[in-house]
Amino acid sequence: MRFTALHAVGLVSLLSGILSFLVISQATRELGRIGATDYIGTLIVVAIIRELGPLLTALVVVGRSGTAIAAELATNQVMGEVRALESMGIDPKQYLVLPRFLSSLVSVFALLVLFDLVAVMAGFAAARFNGLPGPRYFQIVLQSLSNRDVWLTVFKALAFGTIVGVVPSYFGLAVRRASTEIPIAASRAVVAALVGIFLCSALFVALG
Amino acid sequence: MTIPHSPVPLLFDSIPIARDASHPFSLEVPEHRTIAVLGDEDSGLEQLGGYALGLERPESGRALVFGTLVASLPEPERLAFRRRVGYLPAGDGLLQNLSLRDNVALPLRFGSAGTLRDIEGRVNVMLTAVRLTAAAALRPAQANDEERRRAALARAVAFDPALLILEQPFDGLTARVASELLELARGGESAEGARRRIFITGQEIPPLILRRLDQVYRLTRAGMLEPETV
Repeated sequence: MRFTALHAVGLVSLLSGILSFLVISQATRELGRIGATDYIGTLIVVAIIRELGPLLTALVVVGRSGTAIAAELATNQVMGEVRALESMGIDPKQYLVLPRFLSSLVSVFALLVLFDLVAVMAGFAAARFNGLPGPRYFQIVLQSLSNRDVWLTVFKALAFGTIVGVVPSYFGLAVRRASTEIPIAASRAVVAALVGIFLCSALFVALG
Repeated sequence: MTIPHSPVPLLFDSIPIARDASHPFSLEVPEHRTIAVLGDEDSGLEQLGGYALGLERPESGRALVFGTLVASLPEPERLAFRRRVGYLPAGDGLLQNLSLRDNVALPLRFGSAGTLRDIEGRVNVMLTAVRLTAAAALRPAQANDEERRRAALARAVAFDPALLILEQPFDGLTARVASELLELARGGESAEGARRRIFITGQEIPPLILRRLDQVYRLTRAGMLEPETV
């Protein structure tokens, strides 16, 4: 949990801040020319909070923790620790997978909330920098934000958190006996989790 | 599947364990006996513990523990049944991210209904018994072979099992330490013999230990069991 969430705070904040600042800066400038600054709200809610936020947060967690989960569980398997757990009457899924799964769920959700908060604040800075008054910026953003956007973001966080927790665990525990399988398992886990996240994201768009 | 009227603590019945062996492996570990089977690295002996605990299934034959085919039990019952058997796998199987103390406590935390205080008390008793109190806070990677083996044995007997399966338990240990661990594994003596039934596999066992075992066999290339002479 500390590694998955706390240690990722800096990276997620940085990515969110830069992305939002760049997008809102450009948008304020370009949309301002045609008098359509109200669309900044739609842009930050639809593009950043609803789509890119969950996607980038999940990618960060997969890149950092997905590889770690797969490599750690594969090492447990190769070192005979999984077998030892089973021989003691301990279910490896309960002992090894469940905590990582719950940690991924909570971490992706918490990091996504952080991503969105930083994105809104960076957007505010960008808007101010480009001459849009602060109260007007928040008014536009809040007008564009609906309950549906909030729930969609929550569901995405849960879905992506599930993928981040389950897919690397599966590939890690699928390793049999050779230590050479560990990096392969880590690589396969990340690729599979990335594909899963993108497919899931596409599914949300299709259904939404 | 439970076989009635089978008092044998551990029974291997016609299990093929080595590719080039012409005879399947059969052996009984009776009550109050400590039995060892020695064999080469590729003899397949290292699979027997897994077969007995239902971690793997043999191609044919069966391994029964107290008359029970563990592999055929439903998952929850299988996990619960395994707590009746102490298992020291080759290479210790200690969890690297836990201290030796936490490794010993692990099965008790997950498999006993005792309070935290009871469990800590039991762990302290176990650590004292295996003389590991001073090194208890070390992780397995920080401990030496002897300390790791002591911790693995303490973990294996944490539930005070009636049957112990030990794989290569004495490799790399001095005869004195091996002898001490064997006594701990036996769990004391009764009029009939050792309190626990013990099945040991390995490549070699120190002569001092061999003399203290009830029966020692060597597995031939053909899969035959021949009595080992000391």
